[in-house]
Amino acid sequence: MKENPILLEVFKNRFSSISEEMGVTLNRTAFSPNIKERRDSSCAIFDRDGAMIAQAAHIPVHLGSMPMSVKSAIENVAMEDRDMVILNDPFKGGTHLPDITVVAPVFAGEKAPSFYVANRAHHADVGGMSAGSMPLSTTLFQEGIIIPPLKLVEKGTIDRKLMSFLLNNVRTPKEREGDFAAQIMGNITGIRRTRELIEKYSLKTVTFYAKRLMEYAERVTRHMITEIPDGTYTFEDFMDDDGFGNAKVRIHLSVTIQGDRATLDFQKSSPQVEGSINGVYAITLSAVLYVFRALVNQDIPTNAGVLRPITVLTRRGTVVDAQFPAAVAGGNVETSQRIVDVILGALAQALPERIPAASQGTMNNVTIGGIDPRKGIPFAYYETIGGGMGATAESDGESGVHSHMTNTLNTPIEALEYSYPFLVTEYSIRRGTGGKGLHKGGDGIVREIHLQSDGEITVLSERRSLAPYGLHGGESGTVGKNVIVRDGKAMEKPGKFSSALKKDDIVRIKTPGGGGYGEKGDRSQETGGMEHRA
Amino acid sequence: MIIGVDTGGTFTDFVFKKEDQWGVYKLLSTPDNPARAVLTGLDHVGGKEKQQIIHGSTVATNAILERKGARTALITNKGFEDVIEIGRQNRSRLYDLAYRREPQIVPPDLRFGVKGRVLSTGEEHAPLDAEEARKVIKQIERSRAQSVAVCFIFSFANPSHEEKIKELLGNTGIAVSLSHEILAEFREFERTSTTVLNAYVVPKMHNYLGKLMAEMAEGNSLSIMQSNGGSISAETAMQESVRTILSGPAGGVVGGLEIGKIAGHTHLITFDMGGTSTDVSLIDGSFSLTVESRISGYPLKVPMIDIHTVGAGGGSIAAVDVGGSLKVGPESSGADPGPICYGKGEQITVTDANLYLGRLIPEHFLGGTMKLQRNRLDSFFQQMAQKIGLSPMELAEGILSVANTAMEKAIRVISVEKGYDPREFVLFSFGGAGGMHGAFLARLLNIPKVLVPQNPGILSAIGMIMADVIKDYSFTVMRNQLNCTADQLSDFFEDLEKRGLKDLSKEGFAKKNIRLERYLDMRYEGQSYEIIVPLEANYIDGFHTLHEKTYGYRNEDKMVEIVNIRLRARGIPAKPRFQQAKKVKRQPSRKAYLGEREVVFDQKKRKTQIIARDRLLNGNRIPGPAILVEYSSTIVIPPFADAHVDEYGNVIMEIVD
Repeated sequence: MKENPILLEVFKNRFSSISEEMGVTLNRTAFSPNIKERRDSSCAIFDRDGAMIAQAAHIPVHLGSMPMSVKSAIENVAMEDRDMVILNDPFKGGTHLPDITVVAPVFAGEKAPSFYVANRAHHADVGGMSAGSMPLSTTLFQEGIIIPPLKLVEKGTIDRKLMSFLLNNVRTPKEREGDFAAQIMGNITGIRRTRELIEKYSLKTVTFYAKRLMEYAERVTRHMITEIPDGTYTFEDFMDDDGFGNAKVRIHLSVTIQGDRATLDFQKSSPQVEGSINGVYAITLSAVLYVFRALVNQDIPTNAGVLRPITVLTRRGTVVDAQFPAAVAGGNVETSQRIVDVILGALAQALPERIPAASQGTMNNVTIGGIDPRKGIPFAYYETIGGGMGATAESDGESGVHSHMTNTLNTPIEALEYSYPFLVTEYSIRRGTGGKGLHKGGDGIVREIHLQSDGEITVLSERRSLAPYGLHGGESGTVGKNVIVRDGKAMEKPGKFSSALKKDDIVRIKTPGGGGYGEKGDRSQETGGMEHRA
Repeated sequence: MIIGVDTGGTFTDFVFKKEDQWGVYKLLSTPDNPARAVLTGLDHVGGKEKQQIIHGSTVATNAILERKGARTALITNKGFEDVIEIGRQNRSRLYDLAYRREPQIVPPDLRFGVKGRVLSTGEEHAPLDAEEARKVIKQIERSRAQSVAVCFIFSFANPSHEEKIKELLGNTGIAVSLSHEILAEFREFERTSTTVLNAYVVPKMHNYLGKLMAEMAEGNSLSIMQSNGGSISAETAMQESVRTILSGPAGGVVGGLEIGKIAGHTHLITFDMGGTSTDVSLIDGSFSLTVESRISGYPLKVPMIDIHTVGAGGGSIAAVDVGGSLKVGPESSGADPGPICYGKGEQITVTDANLYLGRLIPEHFLGGTMKLQRNRLDSFFQQMAQKIGLSPMELAEGILSVANTAMEKAIRVISVEKGYDPREFVLFSFGGAGGMHGAFLARLLNIPKVLVPQNPGILSAIGMIMADVIKDYSFTVMRNQLNCTADQLSDFFEDLEKRGLKDLSKEGFAKKNIRLERYLDMRYEGQSYEIIVPLEANYIDGFHTLHEKTYGYRNEDKMVEIVNIRLRARGIPAKPRFQQAKKVKRQPSRKAYLGEREVVFDQKKRKTQIIARDRLLNGNRIPGPAILVEYSSTIVIPPFADAHVDEYGNVIMEIVD
């Protein structure tokens, strides 16, 4: 078969349609606001070897990790027609426990699966030591139920025993069950669409173009890398702390560009820590994939080809390649952001005109649980909060928005007050918190909730002591703040804390601003080498 | 005399009907002052006759797209002034490192917070601080704002704070839009956004429609097309201008629905292919509605005909990217420089590919008034074909199949993704290029039949004169199946129905011509998207069934919530009637044949008849391949299709392979 540029484009559209249609089904049928309203989910299609062909990613942190989940499912379970495998084990293809992946084979007349489809969704609770399963943990065992790759669906029938076991280990079983059903439906859509495609074009043609599309994405990525000047660029930045007294956790990177290849060496990063900010290798890979995908200035399928020109080196047992049984809840949401900051910081030396200053660098994870006095039933609220984006050579950074590795929606205030015993008292842009400069960083957000019942809160946040960096003379953004007001007295809390709440407490989360770009008043746009002081 | 007037980017179209006489008229639009073309045309077609005019205007849409609306202020709860800016805190382009939102409609210094708070139950948690409100109004007056949007948290559950602000604004002369009147539904950002959009365009529409009415002769009436597929009096359109935003393509869908109905086809997919984009919509007996539209970054939650737009049209540019894939659109050659064959352009477009294959007939394009330059194409096609290792013919057909793939995807979004099987629909093709691509698209989607109406280039204006007068009302009730009885629902609807009857009688409708349609926005508890279900005796079951159809499953163990109630009040006007032609013989008259050409289909040159559409009669059959030409469009009947003309002059193509 000869590659035809027309069919290449046609298949690009068809494969992306499949993953998008899976996403439509998953998001629309899901039960929990976390998946539906915030769209914390991704869907993708894979070839017989588990190489990704196309992905509808709403959340970049799922980018590199989905393929590892699928590989793990293939390696650990012999899947037959109409089976589906569930998993969340961060050390067997997952990232952190709330992100649960469901993998399904697509049989097309061959003995083994010809393709796979998979989707991943963030579940609002998977058990563990605190409601919402984003705890201040020191080991994986505290973070929730660990699901190794297991058959959730066998020959088209849900394994009720496994389902019941899973549901008995979470706080909101009904919601989970609805979300699992939605994930299964998403895959069924994917299987159906893939089969239709094979019927229309033949298995041979579909397989052929799946491969060609990976090569296509690879060519485009290589082309982009050649536009980065050759050289080695080094940068480091730090996590504030791990929540257990280990401050300034280092993420270190040397990136070497050589022609159309890039090598990213993270080996000098800190060893894994006690608190939950450890990232598994899949997280680091996702961050790399995100940055390189963003640098490709055109619409390409996000697939296995993008990573082929790129080598990612890590040392096992570090915060960027954590090993069992490290606590990893926050690695997915917080460390992933810092890894992006570090990759961008290094590349800013090579591409000063294209790379923005640091964005807020955190997702500001807030979990509040308790009993809703209006209904007498438990509730678990989980949300992440946007902040400032870094300024660029062209313009100011955007304010009050999610950046880099996440893009989840907020929950409307009116939806919150219908669902939870909350009175929201402020939701505004935290003016003046973006770093000053030729272009100023975007501002953070203030979100303030007045509790109408007792409860418990867990916050996992970063950039509370070490600010998002500015570039080329631009100032840093302002760090974030977590405050609880009780009886009129404001108490400042650390970046990571867990605490009991009383009725009438006010929780005030102030998120960081983005870094500024260029020296203020300097309109010449001189952008020489840059130096980073952490 | 009834006249439909559709203002478009290039032309303002007029369709008029007087007794049994139909007529059409086209005039260049006057974007600097759209009223000029409208009035000139009305004068030309209507003269001194008494006129009933239905007008589709782009004034509100353009005011938003170009950020040329009124200087608008926002009053909201203290602490929530930035809700309109933060929106849903996500970015619309995931991989854009330099992401910026679209420019703000209300800048920060025109957003004002006032103390006071209502809870979800409607209970007042803190009274409105009237003193502060007065101060804010003073500031707004000083700011020279012409319009103000008012949106308080949970105002639909208790509108007293918004009403108080209106009272305090009194006779300041500032236009006011209250969120509970514009959209009495929960989700503060979407409600604020819809209200702000209304406030932003009301003064413009007031001005524009005022001007039109002042110039119109006494006794003539003016109605305006809304995006929900109905028209409304100009007076109402001045108050609720938000309902005219994005109304442009609505006329075409209404035209499709009405013409389809007359011809006996109630299940249609409308396919409107123009120069820069293609609009598709699904009609399942009636048009599909959505409350999830957006314009220029802002959600617009009023019910609208669900029209999906894709950036592929006749002017879409073909290019090979760095990875070697052939892309078509969304970049368009526009009117200037236009496609290569128009004489100036240097990038291959879809129109060029159609011409290259012989499917566009130069001497009949726009009645031969615009000369297409076929000879300019060769070098461009050879060059690009060589670059990607294809023959120029393969390239030309390839461009069309890539464009068709994009349009196919758009149709899948509105059909397959929503649980409809395209095989059960007729493809209703219109717009300048719809007739050239319809049969190919139908084959891709296994749609058995394509209908191309008469005057496919001005269908929107035809739809306007056939539209009902429609008013939509909604209200968030947030109940579930246990705490909401049928009686309670009736009580909820009573208020909306009173308003509907009153408003429609103001529009001049007698009760017997008014239809009230009740709907519920429902979901399973915990879900955050609602689906719109007609209120029938067994509406809970109706919800499960519709949910299963749309999303593939039902869950009768789960609590069902009734989020909003929704009333559609429809005034049925006297509609123009179409005459049925007598059936004549299968063979078209000899006069219809204009000659024979070689046209490429599937890489083979085929001898193809060129036929004048306006000389075809009811019952004539035209086997493919053939090309029908008319003033505003071209219909390609490929070898795999067989066409005939029905009793209303529609061309019906059946896919035969």
